[in-house]
Amino acid sequence: MNYNNLLDLSQSLIDGVLFGSIYALIGIGFTLIFGVMNKINLSYAAASVAAAYVSLLIVQTAPPALVYVAAALVGGVLGALVYLICFHLLPLNKPLATLMSTVGMLLLIDEAIVHITAGMPQNYPAMFVGANIDIGPLSLRSDLLFVFGFGCLVMIGLTLLLKRTRLGLATRAVSQQPVAAQLCGMSITGTNMSTFVIAGFLGGTAGAMAGAAIGVLSPLLTLPLTVKGLVVTVIGGLGSIPGAIIAGLVVGGAENLFQYLRGVSERDIYVMLLLFAFLVFRPGGLFPPPAGRD
Amino acid sequence: MLELRQLSRNFGGVKALDQLDLSVHKGEILGLIGPNGSGKSTTVNVIAGLYKPSSGSLTFNGIDLSQRSTHERAAVGIARTFQNIRLFANLSVWQNVWAAHVVRDSGWTGLRKRWLASGRTARDEVQELLAFSGLAGKADVLAGNLAFGEQRRLELARAAASGAELLLLDEPAAGMNAEEIDELDARIRSLRDQGRTILLIEHHMELVMAVCDRIAVLNFGRKIAEGTPAQVQNDAAVRGAYLGAEATATT
Amino acid sequence: MDFYLGLAQVIGVHTLLGLSAWCLLHTGQVSLAQGGFFAIGAYASGMLTTMAGWPLGVALPAAALISATVAVAVGFPALRVKGLMLVVATVAFAEIVRLVCFNLTWRVNTGSGPVGPDGSLGFGGIRYFPSNGWSSIEILILIWGLVAAVMLALAWFDRSRIGTLWRAVGEDEVAAQSVGINLTAAKVSAFGIGGAIAGLSGGIFAHQVTHIEHGNFTILLATFAIAYPILGGLASLWGTVLAVIFIQGFLIEGLRVLGDWRSLLFGALILLVMLLRPSGIITSPIGRWFARSIRFDRPAAPTTGGKTHA
Ligand SMILES: Nc1ncnc2c1ncn2[C@@H]1O[C@H](COP(=O)(O)OP(=O)(O)OP(=O)(O)O)[C@@H](O)[C@H]1O
Ligand SMILES: [Mg+2]
Repeated sequence: MNYNNLLDLSQSLIDGVLFGSIYALIGIGFTLIFGVMNKINLSYAAASVAAAYVSLLIVQTAPPALVYVAAALVGGVLGALVYLICFHLLPLNKPLATLMSTVGMLLLIDEAIVHITAGMPQNYPAMFVGANIDIGPLSLRSDLLFVFGFGCLVMIGLTLLLKRTRLGLATRAVSQQPVAAQLCGMSITGTNMSTFVIAGFLGGTAGAMAGAAIGVLSPLLTLPLTVKGLVVTVIGGLGSIPGAIIAGLVVGGAENLFQYLRGVSERDIYVMLLLFAFLVFRPGGLFPPPAGRD
Repeated sequence: MLELRQLSRNFGGVKALDQLDLSVHKGEILGLIGPNGSGKSTTVNVIAGLYKPSSGSLTFNGIDLSQRSTHERAAVGIARTFQNIRLFANLSVWQNVWAAHVVRDSGWTGLRKRWLASGRTARDEVQELLAFSGLAGKADVLAGNLAFGEQRRLELARAAASGAELLLLDEPAAGMNAEEIDELDARIRSLRDQGRTILLIEHHMELVMAVCDRIAVLNFGRKIAEGTPAQVQNDAAVRGAYLGAEATATT
Repeated sequence: MDFYLGLAQVIGVHTLLGLSAWCLLHTGQVSLAQGGFFAIGAYASGMLTTMAGWPLGVALPAAALISATVAVAVGFPALRVKGLMLVVATVAFAEIVRLVCFNLTWRVNTGSGPVGPDGSLGFGGIRYFPSNGWSSIEILILIWGLVAAVMLALAWFDRSRIGTLWRAVGEDEVAAQSVGINLTAAKVSAFGIGGAIAGLSGGIFAHQVTHIEHGNFTILLATFAIAYPILGGLASLWGTVLAVIFIQGFLIEGLRVLGDWRSLLFGALILLVMLLRPSGIITSPIGRWFARSIRFDRPAAPTTGGKTHA
């Protein structure tokens, strides 16, 4: 391997890690919801992409920065809707029914996007395109850097929110001892709902960032984002936010690394094998959840 | 028949079991009592194989249990009930008992056994156990739809159905009324008379004092007393740790 | 007429796929690997009939066996994970299988030109049925014969002792172990049998459509596989059949008249069914009527769906 190859490799690794912040956000969303409800919301990534689509409505009239904010807000609203429809209306002791209802929601959202856009990819505004920051021979794409920085900001905000506010306490209490939490006057529905809204903010942001990083939004984004988000959740350790962040960056980096080494068509095989390596050697993920009592 | 030697189990900093020595003799009803959180359920879980001991040894009829998984321990003859009832909620009452019964003769040896078997079939035995537990009329009801007392009875029937020599009963009387407790008393005795050995964990002192041949008392994971019901009742350490608290509360 | 024959064939193939997931759901395992086993069965049987020239009667069982072997191999590591972890692990497995199909190129020359999987172009020319002069009706009879055989076997199995043990594991693993049930045996056997059935349905699928490619085996297919038994209800095998008819017959074909709107309704109706009947279509009046009119799999007791940790 000569110097140029090494350079290319580092470059794609850097791009991958920056892009990985999107996976991290999606992974956090899955993990948050799993943390309080012990259930998967399979429609999450689809709702995130949908939020980005909706934010396109204001793209002509508003500066791009506002578009991202809009995406986050729409994500929150969609999160609340998904909670009400797919989780709140279903009996708690029927986890399979909940799983299936989120599948129904995933298909519904996907098809709604296809229906409204006639399946055509839509351009998405990016920030700082072309203005790259060079570090020696390597260059950091500023649009990706922006995505990365924005993602970091959102994650810091989330951590503060969960650490410093009553809501953070409530989410932890509800996930660990639902009955006791209720007796202490915490509303389970309220806590669950807020979690879905927060996860929705993150998802909407992630959807917008994916659009910005790729340049277009397409319904084809939903399945890969779902799969990668789930992989990130498991590698990070179920319920762990720092785990999801690190795992997101690792998966993003690994993806580009494998793409560089083995080509785009084989790339994901190795990402999945990476997941298996974790399941075999570290089944709890990077930050394993505490073992429950019987 | 069951020997625990220097058995300890820690949860983080908590010593749930601290160098516990306990022997269960064949054919007896041994009571295990102690205040809340003293390590009684932990003892059962360690014996049944749900928790690994932090140190110490555990033998059953001379077999070292430490290398055996939970289902293998059931196969050599240890069955249990749970403090928080764990039935197969969406299976019928009959299927709950049937599952525990048939598992011992599945596989090749079981097939041969069934082929050669004459007379009493598994179905008859399950039916008998249901009658014994007063559930014969409810065979087709889903276990999850039973009343609380019935669920406790079904758990006992399920444990008995596995044919185990040793039954570990974790608070079988919890939540039962006086009449149900009397029935439970009779059932426990009749199981013993069929040749089973019983380790009974209970907070209900009348029941424990009435049915147990011997009683061991735990406090903070340590055994603080052991002996006949009369001895234990008069033990100063026990009074201090446990009965004492109750006595002061009632007087 | 041909349209209805084709539809009936599709329903048969998907019924088998749903039944394979039914096996796993009974032991409380939500597996999205069924699409992967289906793909393995499809590729394996296709390669055996076209490249090795085996008759279908041998190739199909062989494909089922290959799928079952892979499934057992997947089942062992899958024991270590539960719930969401199992879902993700099996998604990863299915994706690997799909991507291997995508990258697999292995062409051999036969009398009539090169055949075999051709990478991203897929694997075409699996023409066992046309070249041996099978009519649509005959194919249909074969498919539904297999469906009937599998359903009879599973119905018998469900009422047998092993079926009860499977259900017990699906209800509560800790309690099941405590009465002496070997979790490894129960879960791995469910993977093996489910894998064999999925492989069988994949094999038929390959020969029925004659051209297969990685796009046939996405996560969506695996999702459908578990959707059938869940939507139909685990209480009875008929629930799965009913759900396949509902999805493939009604939602996909029946609503074609609605044009574009059909696909929108698709997700919404799945959602609606789950909201109205969380224990499956089989618990609805239509389902009960259906089960009553053709019943051979009456469960030993009324059961209302398994409890699974997902
Ligand atoms: N899985 C666990 N993780 C952490 N701590 C545990 C666990 N199981 C038990 N403990 C702790 O071990 C100690 C003994 O608990 P155990 O359940 O054995 O008590 P017990 O005697 O059965 O009490 P009770 O009468 O309330 O049932 C307690 O302090 C408990 O908090
Ligand atoms: Mg206890």
